[in-house]
Amino acid sequence: MAEENILPDEFLRQLMNVGEVDLVVAVPTHNHARTIARVVEAVRLGLVTYLPRERAVLVAADGGSRDGSLSLALEAAAAPLPAEAELRYLRTFQVVGGTYANGAGNHSPLRLVLAAADLLQAKACAVLSPSASVAPEWVERLLAPVYRKGFDYVAPLYRRHRFHGLLVRILLYPMVRALYGKRIHEPYAADFAFSGRLGADLLAGPEPAAPGDAADYLRAPLCALTSNYRVCEAFLGPREQTELAADLVPALRQTVGPLFRSMEEHPGCWQAAKGSEPLPVESGQEEITSEPLRLNRKRFHQMFCSGVADLHPVLATILTGETLADLGACAALGEQAFRFPDELWAKTVYECAASFHRNAISRDHLLQAMAPLYRGKVYEFLGHTRHSPPEEFEARVEALCLAFERLKPYLLQMWGGRQGGTP
Amino acid sequence: MARPPTTTDALWYKDAIIYQAHVRAFSDSTADGVGDFAGFAGKLDYLQQLGVTALWLMPFFPSPLRDDGYDISDYCAVHKSYGSLEDFRSFLDAAHQRGIRVIIELVLNHTSDQHPWFQESRSSRDNPKRDWYVWSDTDTRYHGTRIIFVDTEMSNWSWDPVSKAYYWHRFFSHQPDLNYDNPEVREEMWRVMKFWLDLGVDGFRLDAVPYLVEREGTSCENLPETHAVIREFRARLDAEYPGRMLLAEANQWPGDLRPYFGEGDEFHMAFHFPLMPRMFLGLKLEDRKPILETLQRTPEIPPSCQWCLFLRNHDELTLEMVTEIERDYMYDVYAGDRSMRLNLGIRRRLAPLLENDRRRIELMNGMMMSLPGTPIVYYGDEIGMGDNIFLGDRNGVRTPMQWSGGWNAGFSTADPESLYSPLILNPVFGYQAVNVTSQQRSEHSLLAWMRRLIAVRKASPVFGRGSIEFLRPANHRVLAYVRQLGNERVLVVNNLSHAAQAVELDLSRYKGRVLIEMFGRNLFPRIGDLPYLLTLGPYQFYWFRMRKV
Amino acid sequence: MKEMILQELTRTAHDLTQAFAHLVPRLIVMLIIIAAGWVIAWVVKLVVRGILRVTGFERLSQKAGAARLLTQAALPSSSELLSRLVFWLVWLGFILLGIGALGILGLQDLIPRLVLFLPRILVALLILFFGMVLAGFLSRAALLAAVNANSPSARLISGFVHFAVVILAIAMAFEQLGLAQQTVLVAFTILFGALMLGLAIAFGLGGQELARRALERRFGPPSKAEREDDLSPL
Repeated sequence: MAEENILPDEFLRQLMNVGEVDLVVAVPTHNHARTIARVVEAVRLGLVTYLPRERAVLVAADGGSRDGSLSLALEAAAAPLPAEAELRYLRTFQVVGGTYANGAGNHSPLRLVLAAADLLQAKACAVLSPSASVAPEWVERLLAPVYRKGFDYVAPLYRRHRFHGLLVRILLYPMVRALYGKRIHEPYAADFAFSGRLGADLLAGPEPAAPGDAADYLRAPLCALTSNYRVCEAFLGPREQTELAADLVPALRQTVGPLFRSMEEHPGCWQAAKGSEPLPVESGQEEITSEPLRLNRKRFHQMFCSGVADLHPVLATILTGETLADLGACAALGEQAFRFPDELWAKTVYECAASFHRNAISRDHLLQAMAPLYRGKVYEFLGHTRHSPPEEFEARVEALCLAFERLKPYLLQMWGGRQGGTP
Repeated sequence: MARPPTTTDALWYKDAIIYQAHVRAFSDSTADGVGDFAGFAGKLDYLQQLGVTALWLMPFFPSPLRDDGYDISDYCAVHKSYGSLEDFRSFLDAAHQRGIRVIIELVLNHTSDQHPWFQESRSSRDNPKRDWYVWSDTDTRYHGTRIIFVDTEMSNWSWDPVSKAYYWHRFFSHQPDLNYDNPEVREEMWRVMKFWLDLGVDGFRLDAVPYLVEREGTSCENLPETHAVIREFRARLDAEYPGRMLLAEANQWPGDLRPYFGEGDEFHMAFHFPLMPRMFLGLKLEDRKPILETLQRTPEIPPSCQWCLFLRNHDELTLEMVTEIERDYMYDVYAGDRSMRLNLGIRRRLAPLLENDRRRIELMNGMMMSLPGTPIVYYGDEIGMGDNIFLGDRNGVRTPMQWSGGWNAGFSTADPESLYSPLILNPVFGYQAVNVTSQQRSEHSLLAWMRRLIAVRKASPVFGRGSIEFLRPANHRVLAYVRQLGNERVLVVNNLSHAAQAVELDLSRYKGRVLIEMFGRNLFPRIGDLPYLLTLGPYQFYWFRMRKV
Repeated sequence: MKEMILQELTRTAHDLTQAFAHLVPRLIVMLIIIAAGWVIAWVVKLVVRGILRVTGFERLSQKAGAARLLTQAALPSSSELLSRLVFWLVWLGFILLGIGALGILGLQDLIPRLVLFLPRILVALLILFFGMVLAGFLSRAALLAAVNANSPSARLISGFVHFAVVILAIAMAFEQLGLAQQTVLVAFTILFGALMLGLAIAFGLGGQELARRALERRFGPPSKAEREDDLSPL
């Protein structure tokens, strides 16, 4: 099996000393020295407070950090607990730390965690991103559905500003929902939990294409959704802004790319699903806040228009003539009268997916070309929802999702072979 | 009083293997359904074979038996059900002949209200023995002192209609406390002790010592005056009866227990109450942390003093000296059935507690015999006897000793219905399945194993007298330590887990030594530069002698 | 005198017509050969196309990724390309044959030299071909990057990149053909060098801020103040 190659000797020895556990909490790090100590403390407190009787281990999986994140993590784990917590915890607190090969070996942190969870026979495993917003309750909220209620995958729900994470809200969420028929709000969760069964399945799957790829983070929920595992969502809390992919184009590369690729790998999985169903939600609902936020909406509109104009030859190879013409018409509308119907957006995305599949142009270029189109949709979305109450906001998102679901047959058609774009 | 050739070593109690039994439960020679000394004497060969070197007898004094003999009405006699003083004397001699010392219980703190002293004391305020007990016109003195038997008593004071006053009692209301501020009381109690010492008894387990003296404005426990009383007794004991031993029954945290050793001028031994439940806790958690922490928090004691270790006794497995979290956990895993819980404890025998798992029983006994202290084996646990939780209070663990699979388990020839307690009858623990005779016939029985264990333990003084140093291997399921005395070093490794374990021990300090396993005396590899790798089966333990060849 | 010139003229005219008369049939033969060659080449092309279709060459080329390359470079499919190439080769062969048939001495020598020259032409064509493909790819990459960086002159940049790569390809092709090697080399060097110098000055002086910010973004920790707004996509 592949595990033996992934796990360095020292890590394996540490696992041997830990022995069998019930729970694994993993924190993958990559240059997170600033926040890692706090996260480890929160995890420890969470385990001690909510799950004191279970055998648990904290796995610090480091991806070649240059700022000593791993040693900071181990230090924080060895520090003494506050007195009442110490009394409550009957067992020895286990922590295991290891570095996974980056660059040369294509092993992502998740693979290391999967291997550890499998070897330790854990019943439930939670992965937490080392951001400052991790709180002790998160450990319990992620693990309890798997450990106590038998779910196989737990996706998070956060409290965030309504306009953060729009890429997820207007592209990834509707698309995953339409493809796989389940309403999973955060398909790219960096905080999630899975059961031992699902972990073993994921471990047996193929390795990720490139290091640092978020593909592994997508594969977990997709595998769960498509293979009849029980999936639920759990509300965690407020989420700090993630430093990863704060720019649009890298974000597209890391998220939309793997999504399109995953469509190719298992076409049967998503082609069959129709409509969508909500997932059971544990410990609270998603919360959306709307503090004032610095926005530069004009820029989005301007980039959309210039994008459509300048990229015309490129877009012509990706999209159908009709869609391209519609986009041009939108661009010509000007700021005040701007419209970008949900159907048009859905068609655009679907055509891009189909062209991606056909390799119409270089895949990376295709993703880059999507950026201005996305900006146009964002502009339209912002315009409509900037001042609306939460219910209306939800309704807007829901309408967009339904548009995606309605147009799924179109996607199937495009995927099937009707040539799009001018040859 | 004959003193046969037992060792006159003043520290004999450090190497002793103590066997705790009740005369009533051991063997009946008079066919009245109750065990007696004559019967017990007949079973001393069995104990000698087992390897036991000391006996601790539960109270056998005359008593109304409202507290299982702890309410004494005559200190210098034997309860007629158990025989006469003559019977006791012959029994004592027989024991000494076999090299077995005898420790008896002495309840210092209180007597039965049927005791002649109390009868006199209460008769009038002018009676010379009036001040032998603690009287008061009001029940407000010593306010705030905790009540020990919370389930039955409302107050530490009870009204006596005869003398129209209140009397003080820390335990049941029919057990009035003696007044140790009165020198007459102290003198009389010394005379009682002298009586038994003159007969040849080797030591006393003094019951309820923390409560001897009361003072206003205190918790009335562990007071300096109490310690002074103990010191007085000890000084007289050392002067007139060297080589005799005092064992304290003080259910306190080790920190509070330390004063009872004084500077080697109070008690010789005391029970290590906090360790026992934590051994069970560590076993269930499969983590050495509770055991390790308790032992590390145990204070140093004077060189002549010793801890007593035990797994179970006649009482419930007390969970007083653990935190609430630990108690909840212990209740949940060991006593899921509420009827097993009593007075903050679990009233089950060793074998049922460990689900009759032979490996776990062996492991616990092995740990008890290898940790620093003198081990006490509760009667019946050496064959893995069961209990009867349907008998009230703690009587479920005090059923007759099961000698054979025949009539009344060989305990008595009387009618089964006349026995002082019913026998255990179920197919798993019943006397037909678990008894001495059948276990003696097999080399692989628990009894045979216990015998071997005790023999190995006795072969080396390092267990009773040596120091302990804990190893901390990365595998937390393994409890490992080194016992050391002079040049002798013994490595003990215990696997607390139900699964096989591999463990790497850092034995660099002992590099070059060869390991010799103490039961089979086979050689194990020499200690080199690398960490020493050992693999252990489920619940397995090793004792290694580390020899420099 | 007049008679001698007239006599010379008639004699020369006569010689010319004679030579011409000799030439014409050869010319006609050449034309016939060329025409025949065209027909034959066309037939061969059809046959080749048929064979390629039967043997599934298209699929093979798709697997090798060549098909993608060709569509991206806006060229016809590989089997079509191959059959057309075959057509041209065959016809060229016939043309050469025809010219040979003309029997003009100078030309006779020229033909083998031409034949030897053919591989270099092929290589030059290949260079041009790949140059075109690369130009298309790079210009598109530049276009996308510029559009996403909200640069107003995206098309300009893209066009420029395309132009530069094409010029480079042409220069390399010329060098391969051995035509005006030195000239082309020097001209290209001057052009390229001037361009780069100009860019460097512009970038260095005018684009200091941009350069610093770009470098910071690449190698340093992210900072909020740089971004245009607080929106984050993920």
